[in-house]
Amino acid sequence: MVRVPAHGSQAGKGEHREKFYKLILLRNMATEVLTQAHHGAHDDHGHDHDHAHHESFIRKYIFSTDHKTIAKQFLLSALIFLFVGGGMALILRWQLAYPGQPLPLIGHLLSDSFVTDGVVQPGFFMQMTTMHASVMIFFVIIPLAVGFFGNLCIPLQIGTDDMAFPMVNMFSFWLVPPAAMCVMSGFFMDGGAAAAGWTHYPPLSVTSGAGHTMWTVGVFFAGFSSILGGLNYIVTVLNKRAPGMGMFDMPLTVWALFITAVLISLGTPVLASDLAVLFFDQFFHSSFFIPEGMLYADNVHTGGGQPILFQHLFWFYSHPAVYIMLLPLMGVVSDVMSTFSRRPIYGYKAMVFAMGAIGGLGFIVWGHHMFQSGMNPLLGTTFMLSTIVIAVPSAIKTFNWLGTLWRGSIRFSVPMLQALGFLTTFVVGGLSGIFMAAAPADVFIHDTYFIVAHIHYVLFGGSLFGIFAGIYYWFPKLFGRHMNEAWGQIHFFASFILFNLTFFPMHLLGIGGHMRRISDPTVYEFLAPFQDMNEFITLAAIGLGFAQLILVFNIIFSLKFGKKATRNPWRANSLEWACPSPPVGHGNFDRQIHVYRGPYEFSSPLTKKDYLPQWKKLEEKPAETPVTAQKTEAGESTKA
Amino acid sequence: MLEYFPENVSSIGIEHDHLFAIIYYLCVGIFFLVNITLVYFLIKYRRRRGVKAYYFHGNNLVEFTWTLLPTLLFAGLGFYSDDLWTRMKYQDAVPVADVEVEVLGQQYLWHYRYPGPDGVFGRTIPSLRSSENVFAIDPEDPAGKDDLTMSNVFYLPINKTIVVHLSSVDVLHSFFLPNFRIKQDAVPGLKIDVWFDCFKAGDYELACAELCGSGHYSMRGELRMLSEDAYNEWLQGKYDAILASIEQPAEAASADDMMDAGDEMSDGTEIVEEPTQAEQGH
Ligand code: HEM
Ligand SMILES: [Cu+2]
Ligand SMILES: [Cu+2]
Repeated sequence: MVRVPAHGSQAGKGEHREKFYKLILLRNMATEVLTQAHHGAHDDHGHDHDHAHHESFIRKYIFSTDHKTIAKQFLLSALIFLFVGGGMALILRWQLAYPGQPLPLIGHLLSDSFVTDGVVQPGFFMQMTTMHASVMIFFVIIPLAVGFFGNLCIPLQIGTDDMAFPMVNMFSFWLVPPAAMCVMSGFFMDGGAAAAGWTHYPPLSVTSGAGHTMWTVGVFFAGFSSILGGLNYIVTVLNKRAPGMGMFDMPLTVWALFITAVLISLGTPVLASDLAVLFFDQFFHSSFFIPEGMLYADNVHTGGGQPILFQHLFWFYSHPAVYIMLLPLMGVVSDVMSTFSRRPIYGYKAMVFAMGAIGGLGFIVWGHHMFQSGMNPLLGTTFMLSTIVIAVPSAIKTFNWLGTLWRGSIRFSVPMLQALGFLTTFVVGGLSGIFMAAAPADVFIHDTYFIVAHIHYVLFGGSLFGIFAGIYYWFPKLFGRHMNEAWGQIHFFASFILFNLTFFPMHLLGIGGHMRRISDPTVYEFLAPFQDMNEFITLAAIGLGFAQLILVFNIIFSLKFGKKATRNPWRANSLEWACPSPPVGHGNFDRQIHVYRGPYEFSSPLTKKDYLPQWKKLEEKPAETPVTAQKTEAGESTKA
Repeated sequence: MLEYFPENVSSIGIEHDHLFAIIYYLCVGIFFLVNITLVYFLIKYRRRRGVKAYYFHGNNLVEFTWTLLPTLLFAGLGFYSDDLWTRMKYQDAVPVADVEVEVLGQQYLWHYRYPGPDGVFGRTIPSLRSSENVFAIDPEDPAGKDDLTMSNVFYLPINKTIVVHLSSVDVLHSFFLPNFRIKQDAVPGLKIDVWFDCFKAGDYELACAELCGSGHYSMRGELRMLSEDAYNEWLQGKYDAILASIEQPAEAASADDMMDAGDEMSDGTEIVEEPTQAEQGH
């Protein structure tokens, strides 16, 4: 990190700055030459950027180092996994609504070790809960939030040609398939896939079949993929911003991804060590997490481990991980809301600091997942207070989003609809978080469907709607064509309504005491009144699942027949809209980019139009030195 | 929403429901405040011909206010909740027990142990645990010989302070009494005290709330809350059976560790090998 900040905001040092930019240009060129030399080592094709590329198919589409291709790869693999995970969820829902009745359609296709006469066996149900959550978290939301948006947005929005380490970037994607294969391989093993929950608490995860060991290995790889991505993002954001772009000239998406990357690089290694130790217990029969006196395969265990230790290390990562899954989308939604209400983000710096606070506080709240775990209740007090404090930055962000809509000129395009869907569901998820954060109120609802409702309000309602918003918003940039607006609206309204019908009643189940991860609620008398609700939820969930097909068809259809996109179809301000749609092969931009102002100068009085892009140099002279004048103005008003 | 709670029968449950209601009304208030504002903005500031959006980057005073207000509100809620939390779960706040019972989770059933006629739990040694002796009771300890053990269904008196010594035989389980608003994970190798009382006789369900394997859903226990008299009668019946079986070991039926009858020299010491939660200091 040799870079002296290119803030350029030190107004008046114009000359120095020019020199500095030249230096950066030089350095960029040097990087390019190096990368080319690197490519050259692998194949002998020419690499003149002004000519058509002659890269082999494999280099171009499979083992590509181009961030745009890698983004598409993350998108494709995550969409496939979205349907795999969704299918698993529907199996779960069927069993909960109609316990003991054979699965329709696929019931008789499944192996006898999973179903009897088409009826889901309890063990298979546990595998489905575990795999549904693992797939959704590790192979859908994290790859989309971090892998897809990181690769799509960071280089384009900071106006550079690629990531700092393109090879590392490629490697980060290619760790996902082996990771997924390991996690899923259990289905073909004795004892089936992992069935100890996505939280994989020992001793259960140690005393169960080999699928659990493979799960540990797979998630370890997935974590490695995140770490590689995260480090790359940090270096890229710090070193590769376009000339003139200070940290506070970055769009909030980049800020969010940057903070996420910091969380990843601090948190994921802890998960990795936790999993490594778990692997020792599973594979070498050590006893880090297996206590003395535990009965295990009819033998009494004589080690002296601590099951709760696993949970501490696991949540030390996994609480920040929930923000890893959400923060990038908070950024995306901010960009979308600003663009479609034609207003500068309300309180840009407050937004950045709130995200920083969420990131920082996120590391001292993990114990709120363990209030009932048997950790010393004294710690419960501490974690309750820190958790309640972390709701504050979330509130700040919500207020600032409202402030952004205030006195705007709001357009209800599909990305905006999805962003508003994000906002409303995130509010519900944040509020249910308050119940659980208050430790004594958590006693009852812990490990019930109330938690399931919370998770889905923040991860489906929050993250996934945010992801949809981003997909609709940047699709024209990435693929050069628009998605169909009408089908987009249908997709949004169908998803939003069915989402709420599916997940809101789960709060009620939770208050009724309905435990999560049980395969047959009819065992309990006190749950009898809720069976109708379970059926209702299942019907809504099936609808919700099918509604996602609209998205897939819209994507496929639009790739081929969508309306051609112009450079800046939403008339937005950040740098990705300065390059052609889609961006040019290697290098993205077809001209030298210089940044003159912040990313959200909508409806600025300096121009007749209602937007003023970051790269636009104003020709008429409102002041002696237009660049610095606007710069300070924008800077000051952001500070205000 | 609150009416979906199962009936509450414990004094701590009353306080729990009260706190839950406070948070509920608070959250419903915030929910409507935010959403009404949102809908209002969406309608009022929808795109209109000739109206340009307002160019404004925000205001520090506003930011400060809407940071401070939720902080105060939430911190207040946190400190308010803590009072109940300390009384519910702190191990040094566990009240003096009228009745003590040890509860163990095992895939997929619950085991209970009462001290027996001598009023003393027999000593346990973890390494002695086996599927015949899930409590790991030391056969050398006379205090253990009369311990009353049972599975799945257990009985307790109402209007008494009950302390459960909770642990697990194998994996994690969670001791969940919905009608008492009680939940506590059962951790192998760790003994955790859970206390409650009850003001209404009846049969209540005990659920396992922590995933413990494929049979987790079926790990259902029952708690019969009896009036004091009925409880004493029930207990006396059990004691008589135990004492009888200790005298005639060949016919030992109920207790599972009848080794050697005769030496009734209970010295009253209770040695529990498992460290308690407080000692472990997690
Ligand atoms: C206002 C902010 C939030 C607060 C106060 C909060 C609080 C909590 C608490 C206390 C729990 C543990 C509940 C229990 O197991 O008994 C929990 C669980 C969870 N939260 Fe949040 N949360 C908040 C926001 C979020 C966000 C933004 C996300 C994700 C994007 C999230 C994802 C989750 C997940 C996935 C779990 C469940 C993990 C599991 O046990 O499987 N939460 N939350
Ligand atoms: Cu958390
Ligand atoms: Cu269980």
